[in-house]
Amino acid sequence: MKRLQLQRWSGSVLSAQARTGGRLQQRLYTAIRHQSTASPAAPAGHDQLIREQPQAPSIRPSRPSQSRYNLPSPPVEAARESAKLASLHARLYLPSRLPLETLARSLVDASADPDPNFNNESLATLGHDLLTQYTSEYLVCTYPRLPLTVVFAAMYAYVGPKTLAAMAKEWGVESVAAPGGEVDPGYLQFRRLPPGAEVNPELITGTERPHEEETHWRKSVTSRVVYDNEYGDPVKAGVPPSELPEREAKNNNLGVSHEQASSTFVHALMGAVYLHAGRPAAKRFFEQHFLSRHLNISDLFNFSSPARDLARLCARENFDAPVARIISETGRKSRSPVFVVGIYSGADKLGEGAGASLLEARFRACVASLKGWYLYSPLNVRVPSSMEEEGAAPWKPVHVDLGEVII
Amino acid sequence: MRPSLRLLNLEVPSLQGSRALYVCSGCRQEARPRPIAARQFLRHASNADSLSERVRRKIWGTDNPPGEKDPYGGQGVLERKFSKQQPPKQEEVAEQPEEVEDLTLTDASYEPATTWAGLERVGHLNRWNDYPRSEADTYESFAVKTKHNQKGPLSLAAHQAAVEICLMHALNKPLVSVCDVTEHEKPIFDMIYECKIQPNGEWSKALEYPNKRTQDTLAYIFEQIGAQPAAPAAEETAEDLVEASELEENGEIADEPASDSQDAPFFGYQDVQDEGFLSLPLTDAVTKFAYLKRFSQLSGHYFPDPIMQQISTVKQAVAYAQGELNKKPKKLAEYLAEDQRLLSLPNVKIFDKRRTTLHRDDEMGRKKIIEAALRARGLL
Repeated sequence: MKRLQLQRWSGSVLSAQARTGGRLQQRLYTAIRHQSTASPAAPAGHDQLIREQPQAPSIRPSRPSQSRYNLPSPPVEAARESAKLASLHARLYLPSRLPLETLARSLVDASADPDPNFNNESLATLGHDLLTQYTSEYLVCTYPRLPLTVVFAAMYAYVGPKTLAAMAKEWGVESVAAPGGEVDPGYLQFRRLPPGAEVNPELITGTERPHEEETHWRKSVTSRVVYDNEYGDPVKAGVPPSELPEREAKNNNLGVSHEQASSTFVHALMGAVYLHAGRPAAKRFFEQHFLSRHLNISDLFNFSSPARDLARLCARENFDAPVARIISETGRKSRSPVFVVGIYSGADKLGEGAGASLLEARFRACVASLKGWYLYSPLNVRVPSSMEEEGAAPWKPVHVDLGEVII
Repeated sequence: MRPSLRLLNLEVPSLQGSRALYVCSGCRQEARPRPIAARQFLRHASNADSLSERVRRKIWGTDNPPGEKDPYGGQGVLERKFSKQQPPKQEEVAEQPEEVEDLTLTDASYEPATTWAGLERVGHLNRWNDYPRSEADTYESFAVKTKHNQKGPLSLAAHQAAVEICLMHALNKPLVSVCDVTEHEKPIFDMIYECKIQPNGEWSKALEYPNKRTQDTLAYIFEQIGAQPAAPAAEETAEDLVEASELEENGEIADEPASDSQDAPFFGYQDVQDEGFLSLPLTDAVTKFAYLKRFSQLSGHYFPDPIMQQISTVKQAVAYAQGELNKKPKKLAEYLAEDQRLLSLPNVKIFDKRRTTLHRDDEMGRKKIIEAALRARGLL
């Protein structure tokens, strides 16, 4: 079954000669989200919606190096000649089953080469979905009580575009000045934004959210799960496939930012590892390069009224109402007093905090109590994707809490 | 008050101004208008009553002092204007037409030249570069025109030089005179080619002729070469003699090259028959000099003094000419390009040329932008 999946996916990445059918042109459909959630398997009825692409020759005929200037991206055979590409392959300790040609392809952004047979868009789509899936299941299973806003922030910190761009920079991926057929395939190739272009527009319009023009309306966190992307940021709505050509033609004139191109490359590399080396290698790659980055999740919290939150939480969980008690104090009348305040629910101490005033100490103690609750992490965490391995132990449902208190 | 105005207003005593308006006495003297007597010197010298004229008259003591009428550049503008209005003098009117006639006479056949071609050359023709090229001006190289580097031609040259020096040794003639004839005719060369050299250590007895006739012919020819003045005539007679003998024993020459290879070096011969000449010693200084001179002439290789010191046999001389004694140093890139361990590494690329900014620009895609910008400005 695993092999079958690989075969199906690899068709969109490998040459068209090895492809069984045009079904995987769905990439065009899933690359831009059409529904509120990215559905990995589009309904079969959408197949006829996908525009008929002229079958481009899978491998470009080899031409002399003079005409490389006419190509939008380096030819396939140039990947073997590039020392940079081999160095990158070795430096990242990529599996040997991942060929240099695919690594070279994952470095070609869609803005450099609009031909989907030669750019990394399809690989990036797969890699993006894999990364978000692995990260989100890791976060949810490891910290089952995290508030959703913290989950969004942690997702952004683990696999957000800024992080991925920083990773690509740490990997030593350099970018070209301008894409073309003559450039070394070891460079990240993308068309740069024209000078003065706006990189981060303040307000994103054209989302799926109803009444998006009402900016002063409160946006609930739950609605962000539905309408926004995996980081809780508003995202443009997908377009139906019939309108794709105009949109692509409009986007081709513009470039992309270095950050976006770098994150697309990391996505594509993840997808390429998954396709060529299989799921275990992809998971290993994810653990070694993404989860190994240290993220202090307790810094991501931001409480405005922790005492009230704690009271609501205790009420929800049928605990006794929290009571703040002074554990110790020193120098009450002095210039720098220190109070240590504990929060007690019945006989159980939920947390304690120290501060220069009683209120501050109580605030800190409430925050410590809430963090102690939200940052609960079970032992021996198993994620759902571990069940994909052969011979995995029977699945025991993981505990996922109700989440934060809603006031 | 501006300083320039202050300077002009010199009649006003400077005491009434402040200290800042002070003008030194020297400057005041310079800027003050000259007295009238001094201004007389500035007048034009052509003025009949000028001060300079009066002074000249006084110095010479006559009313017509010698010297030019106007040594200071002719009349002024106003004088010229007045003199044009007055009628010209009679004498000048009489002289002018004659000159004009002469000019018109010469001008009748005059055609202005547009190019230099066909113009009469002006100047003396006694300079060296005005003479046609003489015999002394043509340069003829001592050595052959083409420098031989292959093993075959070098061996042929070394063999020919060895045979000739052996012959001169046997004939007891001055050795270096073999260099008088740079290239022999083909029959003579054929005979030299047929000769073999036995490496017995002595130049005078080393030569081994194929037959008696060759020995006689070669001896006759090289006798002539030693005798300088009669050399050309001797050559001709020798050629006749050789041709006659050649016709008789035409079939004897085994590997005669094709006839179309007359222009080829050594008449198309590729390599020597035997290599006995290689072991001939070059210990005798006179023989060594003569041999290396002849070999240098035939092969086109120059032997520097340190190399000449090192050479002690013919073999070493040939080896030097082949570039074996001091080989050209190999480049590092060539060594690296042969290293299989490096070639097998995929992340190492070896270039035979230095990588410059241009290469880097090209592989980063910047070069085409630079070229396009230069083209847009018309700089490329």
